[in-house]
Amino acid sequence: MSEVLPNEASTSPAPVMGSLLRQLTQGAGLIVILYVALYAIYGYLQPRALEPYAIAALMNNTAPLALAAAGQTFVVLSRGFDLSLAGVISICNVTLAVVPIEGPGGAALSVLLCLAIGASVGAVNGFLVAYLRLQSIAATLATMIICQGIALVILNAPGGFVAEWIVYEMTDRLWGLVPVSGLVVLSVVALWLMLRRTDFGVAIYAVGADEQAASLSGVNVRRVRFGAFVGAGLLYGLAGFMLSAQTATGNPNSGTPLLLLTFAAVALGGTSLAGGRGGLFASVIGAATLTLLQKVLFSTGVSSFYTGIFQGAVLILAVVFSTAISRIGEEK
Amino acid sequence: MANNNPLAETTFVQSGDTRRSAKISRETISAIAVAVLCVVLLLGARFVSPSLGSWSQVETVLILGSFLVVLSFGQGLVILSGGLDLSLPAMITLGGILATNWIGSSDPGAWYLLPIVLLVCAGVGFLTALGIVILRVPPFIMSLAMSIIVSSALLGYTKGTPRGAAPEMAIALMKGSVFGLPAPILFTIGFVILGWLIQSRSIFGRYLYAIGTNVEAARIAGVPVFTAQVLPYVLSATCAGLVGIMLVGYSNGATLRMGDDYLLPSIAAVVIGGSSILGGRGTFLGTVGGALLLTTLGTIISAIGLEFGLRTIIEGAIVLTALLLLREELFQKLGSLWK
Repeated sequence: MSEVLPNEASTSPAPVMGSLLRQLTQGAGLIVILYVALYAIYGYLQPRALEPYAIAALMNNTAPLALAAAGQTFVVLSRGFDLSLAGVISICNVTLAVVPIEGPGGAALSVLLCLAIGASVGAVNGFLVAYLRLQSIAATLATMIICQGIALVILNAPGGFVAEWIVYEMTDRLWGLVPVSGLVVLSVVALWLMLRRTDFGVAIYAVGADEQAASLSGVNVRRVRFGAFVGAGLLYGLAGFMLSAQTATGNPNSGTPLLLLTFAAVALGGTSLAGGRGGLFASVIGAATLTLLQKVLFSTGVSSFYTGIFQGAVLILAVVFSTAISRIGEEK
Repeated sequence: MANNNPLAETTFVQSGDTRRSAKISRETISAIAVAVLCVVLLLGARFVSPSLGSWSQVETVLILGSFLVVLSFGQGLVILSGGLDLSLPAMITLGGILATNWIGSSDPGAWYLLPIVLLVCAGVGFLTALGIVILRVPPFIMSLAMSIIVSSALLGYTKGTPRGAAPEMAIALMKGSVFGLPAPILFTIGFVILGWLIQSRSIFGRYLYAIGTNVEAARIAGVPVFTAQVLPYVLSATCAGLVGIMLVGYSNGATLRMGDDYLLPSIAAVVIGGSSILGGRGTFLGTVGGALLLTTLGTIISAIGLEFGLRTIIEGAIVLTALLLLREELFQKLGSLWK
């Protein structure tokens, strides 16, 4: 059992030399190194990139994808795929643009609304996959289409305005230094690190690694799967909230571009797409790396037409690399 | 097997009772049910609006349906082999844009470039397949990545605004008529017969059923697994390229988003046609029925004048219903009631 447990570099005690390789293969060590290296290149190309303003802007760009990738990680860890995030984020975005509620209270209400939307769709997904035993790709494909339709019904063309309080405060810096969006992502990571130690957290890994073994050990597989989808939905709701704060307007297709990138982020973070291995923190850094990559490409003068070629190539390489490295880890 | 991973969650399905009669009847029943539903819908549409349900509307459905029939043949082969192809929109656009850019309307003698366009599409499909079979990238990730790579390359190649007009061959295929019948309908009938022969009557087709059911067992049984896994993606990409050329002939030009609306219907047609999304089961005739049913529904819904959002919701609900109805357990329960 201990083999499937995560060993994220951020939380474990000082690594012993023997477990150093496992740190790299199963934790977030590798992706953190990659991120820092990429940031160094970015800082070299754009000396202004290290100013608080630029860092906050990067965080604001990163937050929606990081949160969506964090949600995707829940489902992937429990051995499944979730396509519904494209629809959930779109619904949250258009809802906030059609029903702007001003002030801090309004923002709180808006967050709750987004979380409720995410949790409801997640519950539907969870019910379809865990209890009716539908294929997760197929079931979430259907819910994604339905959600995209709902988003189009709420707002059939880009437009509307997100409440100003959300737009300004959620993209601001505390004391002129700490980006609020970064804090939101950080608190999600902190929550996850606590959740991971609970029975539910352990059970997600167990179900993803070997469903039958988990079931025989007394894990309620259905409830865990269901919980993973609901947890994912909550994070998509939060991602939709942060995306709206960043774009300040509504777009019924706003979630679609994030879909592929969440898988890329999860794979970059080293989470096995076959389930049972990886972690949420690594996916968040994976998402940050992808966003940073776009900035670096832009600052090196690559036409934005060709961004997709790099994203696709990075995705394929990330999957191939993480499969290869986890195979080495297993042989060790 | 790595390439089966995304589809491997619910593979603990019992297939103990495989009486031949039961198996045949299941697929035939869903194919017949879909066909009957199609006819009922077309006739029933008369009550909604008298202009519907006429012969000319049947013709429209068949012509519009031809795109989906060709496309879902390729998607069906990939799904049958245990994979999933999400690169179809990009491949449709690739076929369409290459056809308008390389051939255009100026030189009718350049028809020989059409097969070359299809060959390019086949080549990209081959790359997708290599990623899945050799690099072991999960099919839906590999095809999705290939999709954004090709879209991005096309965006750069056309600088955002596709030029050129439809080649005359493509226009003749979609707008012409032979012996008083529209050419696209005749073409579709020919394609369906060919597709049926490939999927249900050829050795290659059998191989697909074998690897879709169990790759390891197929390998042991002597199936050339590599070829059987690669060819579906090559054929799927070629079919999508062909759909791109057909769309160009139909609408007289290519756009960068011309393929976007076809991905979900291509999967939906296969699932509604009674194929298992897990692979190893399904017939092309069922898929053809699914494609025609979706097209019929689409024309009726747009005739009623529902807004796009509601149409999307209905489409999703149909896919979900089909998935729920085709559940393994449901059929097993029905089977046990029968006994």
